[in-house]
Amino acid sequence: MKIDQLKVTNFRNIRRLEYQPISHLNIIIGKNGEGKTNLLEAIYMMSGNSSFRTNTDQDLINYDALYYIIRAKYNCLEKDYNIILNYNLNVSKEMKLNNKKVALSNDELLKVVLFTPDDLYLVKGSPQKRRYFLDFILKQLDAEYKLILDNYSKLLRKRNLLLKNDQTNSKNFTIVNDLFLENASKLILLRLNFITIYEEIAKEVFKEINNNLNNLKIRYALSFPVNSDKINLDILINSLAKQLQAKSTIEKRRRSTVAGPHLDDLHIYLDNRIARNFASQGQQRNIAITMKLAELYVFKKIMGFYPLFLLDEVLAELDNEKRQLLMDLLINADYQSFLTSVNIDKLNIGDAHLDSIVDGSLV
Amino acid sequence: MRLVRPLENLIDQLVKLPTIGPKTAQRLALFLLKVPEDEAKALAEAILEVRLQVFPCSVCGYLTDLDPCYICQDAKRDKNIICVTEEASDVISIERTGYNGQYFVLNKEFHVMEGHDLDEINLDSLEDKLASGEIKEVILAFNPDVDGEIMARYLASIAEAHQVKVTRLAHGLPVGGDIEFTDELTLRRAIEGRYEFME
Repeated sequence: MKIDQLKVTNFRNIRRLEYQPISHLNIIIGKNGEGKTNLLEAIYMMSGNSSFRTNTDQDLINYDALYYIIRAKYNCLEKDYNIILNYNLNVSKEMKLNNKKVALSNDELLKVVLFTPDDLYLVKGSPQKRRYFLDFILKQLDAEYKLILDNYSKLLRKRNLLLKNDQTNSKNFTIVNDLFLENASKLILLRLNFITIYEEIAKEVFKEINNNLNNLKIRYALSFPVNSDKINLDILINSLAKQLQAKSTIEKRRRSTVAGPHLDDLHIYLDNRIARNFASQGQQRNIAITMKLAELYVFKKIMGFYPLFLLDEVLAELDNEKRQLLMDLLINADYQSFLTSVNIDKLNIGDAHLDSIVDGSLV
Repeated sequence: MRLVRPLENLIDQLVKLPTIGPKTAQRLALFLLKVPEDEAKALAEAILEVRLQVFPCSVCGYLTDLDPCYICQDAKRDKNIICVTEEASDVISIERTGYNGQYFVLNKEFHVMEGHDLDEINLDSLEDKLASGEIKEVILAFNPDVDGEIMARYLASIAEAHQVKVTRLAHGLPVGGDIEFTDELTLRRAIEGRYEFME
């Protein structure tokens, strides 16, 4: 998947901007507050997701305008697409793909992998961060996953509400609980299958980045015990049901669900030791970069094409050696990437396309 | 800009209607000022009349002006089969298919996210019917989403207590549709729900 042309109007500090990226690495440099990330954000919005910086579209409109429009031309698997995202204060948000109105969840919209400095804390950060990472990939890869995840969060909230109102003996609870268990287990199975494919790829990438020095392992960690060597839907449903049953007094006291995919985690090991506790800062960063790159490759493996790679100010957080390593990878990659940075001093950027942005305009 | 009070009042009332936004409401209000007086009165009277005369049937819950409704009174309809729907509007759609059984309308929205309770749904007259043994099959006509799934399970548990066959509407390809343009999820359901074609 590659963008050939981008036109942005009234988006954040960008009043009017036309951008023609090349098919591999595009670098956007500029001082703080000039609009580098805004341009990246505009591309990101074409994925149909809400912005990674705010949940309200109103914040995205240029301060003296009533609407924003982002247009892009891109191609994917030798098919050309023309996409228009229009948000108007009075009307609302509208996405048009090849002149036809489509839902924001349409699966032909742009696919992206976003890499922000925040992702460098994937290893050390909270389990929530890793779950979000997992969900973000899987939602783009599998419409079924998106639906199940959506249903699961509704059922979880309902289940918690019933716990709060002390209605665990009602028929309501039995039905909601049964559906909750089914959706939870389906969600876990999809995640487990995905992690198997993902880990294989991540291992290879890590070897490359880390000069074959250490061994990376990623495991899906359930928030409840499973007493079986095999894992299938029924076993998961029974195990989770058993755990929740055993913890029912705690659940009633805490008024919330104490096990399920919303509490699962990814365990990342470096040479068989938990990376969060044993890996150095530098190694943790290497793992984070690996996980992001593997996100691209796993996409290619499953969908047959690469998504766009958006890197926001990541260089600032890396040492010189790693910067050049990442840069070399991006220059020689088959995917299209967009990288923002305050400067690119002392870096060899090969034939990358360089633009600088000042006050929302390319100069 | 300030509008005169009665006009503003009308716009405020119209805005409460579904799918009507402030601009449409203003247009409708100005239109109502222009039409001949008797037409506007006819509209107002129609609203009052429908409120006075139409109510949910005490047996099936479908909207009616006589009790029981014409569907419940119709002796030619199949008494052994009953279709449960969420809203009266669903009955109107299903009637067009030529379905010839009984109905039961819940007239109650159920959304998981909004703290609704299944116990709030009044099923007395349905349970009476089930208990009488007349009904052989219950068709659950709920939307294919998580709310529909919860209601379906709830009603199925009640019907099963009376040992009645329970069926649910199929999901899959729309008639006249195109496989190429069908979304992945619908197509998956269609494959799961495939049926044997040649005997």
